[in-house]
Amino acid sequence: MASRRRMLLKVIILGDSGVGKTSLMNQYVNRKFSNQYKATIGADFLTKEVQFEDRLFTLQIWDTAGQERFQSLGVAFYRGADCCVLVYDVNVAKSFDNLNNWREEFLVQASPSDPENFPFVVLGNKVDVEGGNSRVVSEKKAKAWCASKGNIPYFETSAKEGINVEAAFQCIAQNALKTEPEEEIYFPDTIDVAGSGRHQRSSGCEC
Amino acid sequence: MLAEVGREDEEKWLAEGIAGLQQNAYYMGRALDTNNLRDALKYSAQMLSELRTSKLSPHKYYELYMRAFDELRKLEMYFKEETRRGVSITDLYELVQHAGNVLPRLYLLCTVGSVYITSKEAPAKDVLKDLVEMCRAIQNPVSGLFLRSYLSQISRDKLPDIGSEYEGDADSVIDAVDFVLQNFTEMNKLWVRMQYQGHVHEREKREKERNELRDLVGKNLHVLSQLESVDLVMYKETVLPRILEQVVNCKDDLAQYYLMDCIIQVFPDEYHLQTLETLLGACPQLQPTVDIKTVLGRLMDRLSNYAASSGEVLPEFLQVEAFSKLSTAIGKVIEAQVDMPIVGAITLYVSLLTFTLRVHPDRLDYVDQVLGACVKKLSGKAKLEDSKATKQIVALLSAPLEKYNDIVTALKLPNYPRVMDHLDNETNKIMAVVIIQSIMKNNTCISTADKVEALFELIKGLIRDTDGGAFDEVDEEDFKEEQNSVARLIHMLHNDDPAEMLQIISTVRKHILLGGSKRLPFTVPPLIFSALKLVRRLQIQAGDVGEDAPTTPKKIFLILNQTIEALSAVPSPELALRLYLQCAEAANDCDLEPVAYEFFTQAFILYEEEVADSKAQVTAIHLIIGTLQRMNVFGVENRDTLTHKATGYSAKLLKKPDQCRAVYACSHLFSVDDQDGIKDGERVLLCLKRALRIANAAQQMANVTRGGSGPVTLFIEILNKYLYFFENGNPQITSSVIQDLIELIMTETQSESTAADPSAIAFFNSTQRYIRFQKQKGGALGEKYEPIRV
Ligand SMILES: Nc1nc2c(ncn2[C@@H]2O[C@H](COP(=O)(O)OP(=O)(O)OP(=O)(O)O)[C@@H](O)[C@H]2O)c(=O)[nH]1
Ligand SMILES: [Mg+2]
Repeated sequence: MASRRRMLLKVIILGDSGVGKTSLMNQYVNRKFSNQYKATIGADFLTKEVQFEDRLFTLQIWDTAGQERFQSLGVAFYRGADCCVLVYDVNVAKSFDNLNNWREEFLVQASPSDPENFPFVVLGNKVDVEGGNSRVVSEKKAKAWCASKGNIPYFETSAKEGINVEAAFQCIAQNALKTEPEEEIYFPDTIDVAGSGRHQRSSGCEC
Repeated sequence: MLAEVGREDEEKWLAEGIAGLQQNAYYMGRALDTNNLRDALKYSAQMLSELRTSKLSPHKYYELYMRAFDELRKLEMYFKEETRRGVSITDLYELVQHAGNVLPRLYLLCTVGSVYITSKEAPAKDVLKDLVEMCRAIQNPVSGLFLRSYLSQISRDKLPDIGSEYEGDADSVIDAVDFVLQNFTEMNKLWVRMQYQGHVHEREKREKERNELRDLVGKNLHVLSQLESVDLVMYKETVLPRILEQVVNCKDDLAQYYLMDCIIQVFPDEYHLQTLETLLGACPQLQPTVDIKTVLGRLMDRLSNYAASSGEVLPEFLQVEAFSKLSTAIGKVIEAQVDMPIVGAITLYVSLLTFTLRVHPDRLDYVDQVLGACVKKLSGKAKLEDSKATKQIVALLSAPLEKYNDIVTALKLPNYPRVMDHLDNETNKIMAVVIIQSIMKNNTCISTADKVEALFELIKGLIRDTDGGAFDEVDEEDFKEEQNSVARLIHMLHNDDPAEMLQIISTVRKHILLGGSKRLPFTVPPLIFSALKLVRRLQIQAGDVGEDAPTTPKKIFLILNQTIEALSAVPSPELALRLYLQCAEAANDCDLEPVAYEFFTQAFILYEEEVADSKAQVTAIHLIIGTLQRMNVFGVENRDTLTHKATGYSAKLLKKPDQCRAVYACSHLFSVDDQDGIKDGERVLLCLKRALRIANAAQQMANVTRGGSGPVTLFIEILNKYLYFFENGNPQITSSVIQDLIELIMTETQSESTAADPSAIAFFNSTQRYIRFQKQKGGALGEKYEPIRV
């Protein structure tokens, strides 16, 4: 029954450390923002129910560590993602330059069946900082990059002021929904009625 | 090879695990679709049994775990639907406890527990407490860590935190914190214990795997930091002490290093500032193998970024005395870790210095204190040979220069030169160049003798040979580069007050005279020019300074004379000669005849005794003639002596053409345009005639040796001198004398034996054209030229 699976949409947020991934997620899920920086370790998700065309979905939003040394276990959690959100800080050029790396790394590691059409959404965050006076990446430049990568939807956000956060995640959910389920459908070759025997092979553990 | 096999095997085991997991997941899904709870539980337990493997590395295990994790979400959703349909969650919670194996059972319990909390049929804290206790049953490190991280994940948004919908009574806030701390503690124990498992020879592999698992443990700290209830008080009184207790007591360097790093990154700046003592207090208690310098470096980095973020937070730093706490802590760490290599200690001081420069730029005393601590650490040891350590010292010494853009500030730091003393000669020089470059870049003017003294003491590595500094090892290019930078530096030393400026010059002189033969040629000239600049300044202000003023040109000239002498002893006679002439000219401008005469005498002595190379002699003689020609201070007698000598030297040059040219140049010494006193036509003519005789002799010699072509050019050159003095109104030079010379040249150029020298002919032609032109122009000069036929 595919419908049960389709009720859960998996979203991965990637981007350099400090661009505001955690803040965006917290703003969206809990409507909270903190000025303090608290590094994310490993990967971690929050869920949020979203209503869409009269159906209820659970958005599973995975926030990841931007600092490489806090990503020691690898990225097995990319698997089965329905949408990938790339975040950069409009005030930090390097964080924009790195979007390409994050995107490619995601495509390599998650290896979606149709990489060309896998949905990404790009967020240019922290547009509130100094009234926009300290920004170094223009909207035009960001949009041009998004266009060159197959028309990735682009939003300018502020996790702090809550600008565009709701709209961005609405779009993220919408795009996640469009993705065909990745799950390789499993067909057992023999009908194992008893379901016995297999787990005895697992060894080396007393529990 | 072995690793290769291991990897292949692992792939196989993972594939088997995935296959088993998928099969059971398939049946679990079917059971869920047909609403068969019993089967769903059975298959899900079987599915989870795949996680009981101990054959997979953490990365692969994580892959398997993630698949199980995704499947469990379906089960969780089913449980939710069931409770909505009226099934009792307590019953479900009971039911899953029947699963046979512990590990699957606990995964199922956590999954139901998540729904249990959401249902609010029991207080969140009770369910969580129950679960975190039960997880103790798994003592295998890898499966235990993943199970607990599953618990942490599913409970993440259900903790009885402040403002959460699961917030219970006042105590439950503590319980949320307690729950995470307990899970953290258990996970850390599992993680640390892992190192004692398996064979000794697999230690390296095990440590690598252990390292991969670290984020599972660290994530708990992230969860804590996100809790609303972990405010400063809670952090200070409960959270931090409990984490640190775990960190210190586990006595495991891997865990200690990682967790300290986590604490610093995960909790906010204000918290660190307000708990500095506690956090820093843990540092000396860590294992000696912990890379504490990186940990503390990152802490200071964070704090200085915080200070830079807004001026408003600065009072906080002062209030908690951040600098002195950090400084003390670093001292204690260095003391405690006796085996810490020197580079580690210095790196710590660099971090502390960077911190204070950013946070307290006005506190020079702090800067000096850091440098002083460093000196203390270095003292009693021989010069540093460790290149990494010296690099850090260069960083340490460069930091204040970069910050203040002003060496003058660094010169105020008593410990600055003391640190430099600990550098090896090579690095000492590099640092000295860095200092000079900083001065150049910032156009820093060093304006007192005291500062100059301090500065030259600082860069003494460039100024003189240091003990043991083997000179021949030095690269010639590098040496030139260094000495040129010293030369440039000398130009940056200035004070408007002549007395102070003279002090500066004397100070520089004192230092550079110790430089030895290779350095003096680079360093003496800039000093001479700097002093001459001062002379010129005095001369402009002249009149109001009497003989007994502290600073007179005369005094300066005396110093100059002695300074150049050092150079001639070196020996760089040609350079010294030039400088003597330069000084003579300056003395001339100051109207100091005896001084100027003395400089000329010195130059002549050098010429006679030291300038041996014929080419150098030619250059020198023309310099002498040129300078002498410009002198106007000399009385007749002195002048005669000097011109006589100059002419004498000229006639004695090695090659005839050189002799000839020098001698006709001397003609100018007897006729100076703006000096009426010096217009001795006769002696001019004598000079020119003498030049002609030499040209003749040169030609004859050429005829003998080459059987033809002579230096006819010399005659044309002399002709031009004739024309010059002719126009100048020298009565001795008549048109007929000129006519004779023209005729002579004509015969020479047309003679059969002479292979025509095209450039000589062109020269002669243009000279003739000039004469014709003057004739045509008419006027007095034209009339004068009239008799000459060309
Ligand atoms: N002014 C402003 N600050 C923001 C905004 N979003 C995040 N920040 C701040 O930026 C810092 C970093 O934010 P995080 O959300 O922790 O960044 P991150 O991307 O999760 O960083 P990692 O976890 O290290 O990968 C915090 O101090 C936030 O308060 C924003 O929209 N505007
Ligand atoms: Mg984050």
